[in-house]
Amino acid sequence: MNNPPKTLSVLGISLFALNFASANAEEVRAFTFDVPSMQEQSQTAGITHSYTGPWEFFVGGGAASMDCNGDRMPDLFLAGGDSSAQLFVNRSKTKGALKFKAQPIKIPERDLLKVLGAYPINLDNDAYQDLVVIRLGENLLLKGLGNCNFEKVNRAYSFDGGREWTTGFSAIFEKGNSFPTLAFGNYVDRSAPGTPWGTCHANQLIRPFGEQKDIPNYSQPIKLEPGFCSLSMLFTDWNNSGEPALRITNDRQYYRGGEEQLWQISPDTLPKLYTQRQGWKKLNIWGMGISEADINGDGRPDYVLSSMGDTMLQTLDEEADEDLPVYRDIAFDRKMTAHRPYVGGDAKPSTGWHTQFADFNNDARADLFIAKGNVESMKDFAAFDPDNLLLGGLDGTFHEMGDKAGIDLNRKGRGAVVQDFNADGMLDLLVVNRKDNVSLFRNLGIKTEWGHAPMGNWIGLELDNGLINKQAIGAKINVKTGNLNQTKTVQIGGGHASGQSGFIHFGLGVAERATIRIQWPDGDWSPEYRIHANQFAVIRRDEDKPLYWVPVEE
Amino acid sequence: MVRHKTYAFMFAAGLSFLLAFATTGLSKDVSWAEKTSALTPSASAPTGTLTANELKELTARGEALFKATFTDLDGVGRPGATQAILPTKARSKALNKFARTSGLDAGSCAACHNQPFIGGAGDFVTNVFVSEGFTNADFDSTDPQFSNERGTNHLFGAGLIELLAREMSTDLASHRKQVLADARKVGKSASITLITKGVNFGILSADPDGLLDLSNITGVDDDLIVRPFSQKGVMTSLRQFSVNAMNHHHGMQADERFGDRWTGEADFDEDGHNDEVGAADISALVAWQATLPSPQQTFPKDEDWQQAAIEGEKAFGEFGCDTCHIKALPLKVLSFSDPGPFDVSGTLNSTSVKDSAIYDLSLLAWTGSLERNEKGEILVPLFGDLKRHTMTDQSNEQLGNEMLSQRFVDRTIFLTSELWGVGSTSPYGHRNDFTTLDSIIRAHGGDAAFSKKLYSDASEDSRLALIAFLKTLVIQP
Repeated sequence: MNNPPKTLSVLGISLFALNFASANAEEVRAFTFDVPSMQEQSQTAGITHSYTGPWEFFVGGGAASMDCNGDRMPDLFLAGGDSSAQLFVNRSKTKGALKFKAQPIKIPERDLLKVLGAYPINLDNDAYQDLVVIRLGENLLLKGLGNCNFEKVNRAYSFDGGREWTTGFSAIFEKGNSFPTLAFGNYVDRSAPGTPWGTCHANQLIRPFGEQKDIPNYSQPIKLEPGFCSLSMLFTDWNNSGEPALRITNDRQYYRGGEEQLWQISPDTLPKLYTQRQGWKKLNIWGMGISEADINGDGRPDYVLSSMGDTMLQTLDEEADEDLPVYRDIAFDRKMTAHRPYVGGDAKPSTGWHTQFADFNNDARADLFIAKGNVESMKDFAAFDPDNLLLGGLDGTFHEMGDKAGIDLNRKGRGAVVQDFNADGMLDLLVVNRKDNVSLFRNLGIKTEWGHAPMGNWIGLELDNGLINKQAIGAKINVKTGNLNQTKTVQIGGGHASGQSGFIHFGLGVAERATIRIQWPDGDWSPEYRIHANQFAVIRRDEDKPLYWVPVEE
Repeated sequence: MVRHKTYAFMFAAGLSFLLAFATTGLSKDVSWAEKTSALTPSASAPTGTLTANELKELTARGEALFKATFTDLDGVGRPGATQAILPTKARSKALNKFARTSGLDAGSCAACHNQPFIGGAGDFVTNVFVSEGFTNADFDSTDPQFSNERGTNHLFGAGLIELLAREMSTDLASHRKQVLADARKVGKSASITLITKGVNFGILSADPDGLLDLSNITGVDDDLIVRPFSQKGVMTSLRQFSVNAMNHHHGMQADERFGDRWTGEADFDEDGHNDEVGAADISALVAWQATLPSPQQTFPKDEDWQQAAIEGEKAFGEFGCDTCHIKALPLKVLSFSDPGPFDVSGTLNSTSVKDSAIYDLSLLAWTGSLERNEKGEILVPLFGDLKRHTMTDQSNEQLGNEMLSQRFVDRTIFLTSELWGVGSTSPYGHRNDFTTLDSIIRAHGGDAAFSKKLYSDASEDSRLALIAFLKTLVIQP
């Protein structure tokens, strides 16, 4: 209960106390929301997998998470560097311990080596998720066949996987196309004179070509030049125009005269870089990963860019013309620079890799995960550099809770996926580590004196756009609870060499129901869907009511 | 610059102090203090199975809270928040602390729930104006475009109602599990009719991959949780309803939804009081409501009336009234756990506490008089089905006066009113604006249109007999 001061003599003390309290207020009462308890379970879950290899595999180390056997539980494809990539089928019990079983991938072993990352996508509009595998050397298109079997379809889809050192990928369905447009981000050209300094490969954009009937034809790549040693790329509708742009984050370690990039991708025309005349500001960072979310609620995506040292959070400058891509950084204001380790005492800068917004504590506020880890043994950067879990608080600020959540392990994180692996409504986390086993964190909820308890309410949404672009890449989801609107775009790309598909998770806090509208990839709006909390729903285009999915109860 | 900030801070702090002092008044802890002594926001909620004495003690505190006229010293008021069930900041300060429309609209629970005595229903004068409270939250009009005007329901037998709903929800979940297993077993779609306690909630279909088609279910939400409270059947539990009502009607915000775990603020409603209502307070309110005796049929001394009531009960069946106003639903157990199993975050539930409290309703003398069936199940004489139905049609829109759906339930759909106690709680209808039983029966449309026609076409004696019967369903002290 509130106990107001009773006498004026107490007032002075109270003022002092208030002043003192004010100075410490942010430390003492800054974060009152739930902190998820993340329990590392990789060994008991049956995943033994490390990302290894020489210099070329200092970067990469991604994971792809998708349902490859039709049970709607997320399975895993993990990059191995000079170790073999592996596939793990999800055998977790609903709401139970995480369990995975390795399943051989029936493609030539040499194709499973030198893998830096992977992204799940339905390339050919069939019933199965396919995989785009990015490698040091030939990239792969793996067609899903069901039961987590895949076949290489580079030749069948007229796709030249190239010989570049590919470190990034994104995909989008452009208007009028039956198959996705693919973008590949490439790193250093190791064969160029003077390599590695200033010798970045061009990136690639590949639109489906010719008649688009049963299978795509990717025979006509377009070079995106100049390339500045990209480490992540993401198709994004930065200005809500309905037309994609391609945001690329680049590693200043190797480029010369380079910068961050935003490509204008208009149908049937060649891509064009946004220029300084159009408001694009030069930014030089060691760009490693991209993730987007509408953090400030202005209806436009904001971008987090991981780097060495400060993490960036870029938002459109409200004082600039709204049609111009003029961004300013608000990471400091939002307390999410995450520029050095938050535990361990090392004052040297951090090295950030995979970034991903997600609601880990189901409080209806976006949280941010950043995988961290020294490149290898760079002495100017922190050696013990734990992953970050920045939980969203009041006023849009973020609060580092990695240690309280239990993810502050001494590992060199790279790629990651944030998924609900056991269908309990709480997001779990898999991090691929360099030269160490993966970290697989099960989200147990909040820790109490008597055990663990659930956090806020949630929903999981799966979209079905129909015959073309079945997984609705590019669709925008609007979830309304009370006066709060949460928006997310269905995207493939970004992060660090890692991607995921499957249910899209929204925390709802104390709301017991949500009203949902979808803007489908072609711009059409869905009717309103009304869904009660704590359920998985499947929204099929042109159907007035959602279907619901219930995991197998053990 | 620094000095300016310091002075500004001191001024602000001093002003805050003065304002706090001014708004909280005489707070000294004396027996005549103008605050509610039954409120114990920092107390622990009860756990485990309560003895008869413990239950008596708890319900006494709950009754005290139900009767209490909350004051500023308790934390009455929500100048910074709306009546919404989700913590929602007010966009502008309301002109008055109390407002008959948007609230605060009552000093105490008992101020409205008092017919024929505390815990009962309310007259038209106690109607509440139900609005989501997200936009236009401080409406000062009774215009139905802003709110749905609703009568005050009685709470007698509410514990049994919630127990019935929980058992029905459990049954429906079991049906869902069964149809999913069937579909997976045979590798093709399967369907099941959702029947629990004889009430049919439609057909649920499942595919082998775990997808459910709920387009043919009726009268229950998509999560198959039977919500037995409010005129619309949109409240899961007494606990949820109590948390809602304390905020809506009194501006007394319960920590379990409005506290800093969810809002980041100990004083979300900005009335100068932190942590106004604790879990133990809500538990006490729930315990008192859950243990209120159920209404029972009582025959008057008037022998003609007795005879008419017997005839009327027959007519009740002949007209098909008992299709929805089912005389009694069977209840397996009398253990009322609180927090309960079906609430979700924002209301404490059984997964968010170490141990729920168990109130053994069989300790209460009145439950001993309830009939049991051959299985030993308690027959709860509610005259209802805990299901929602469409109550209007094109030829009869008397119950279609609302313009706003509520919590996903369309404007013309309402929960079957339990008729136990109807003889003690005139006027009738969800707006409390039908003065006779005859008129509310004639207002039935939609799913009840045929029964209403049979009633309208019946002889006057039959209709009078039905009224005689309904008037035997009373609440007794």
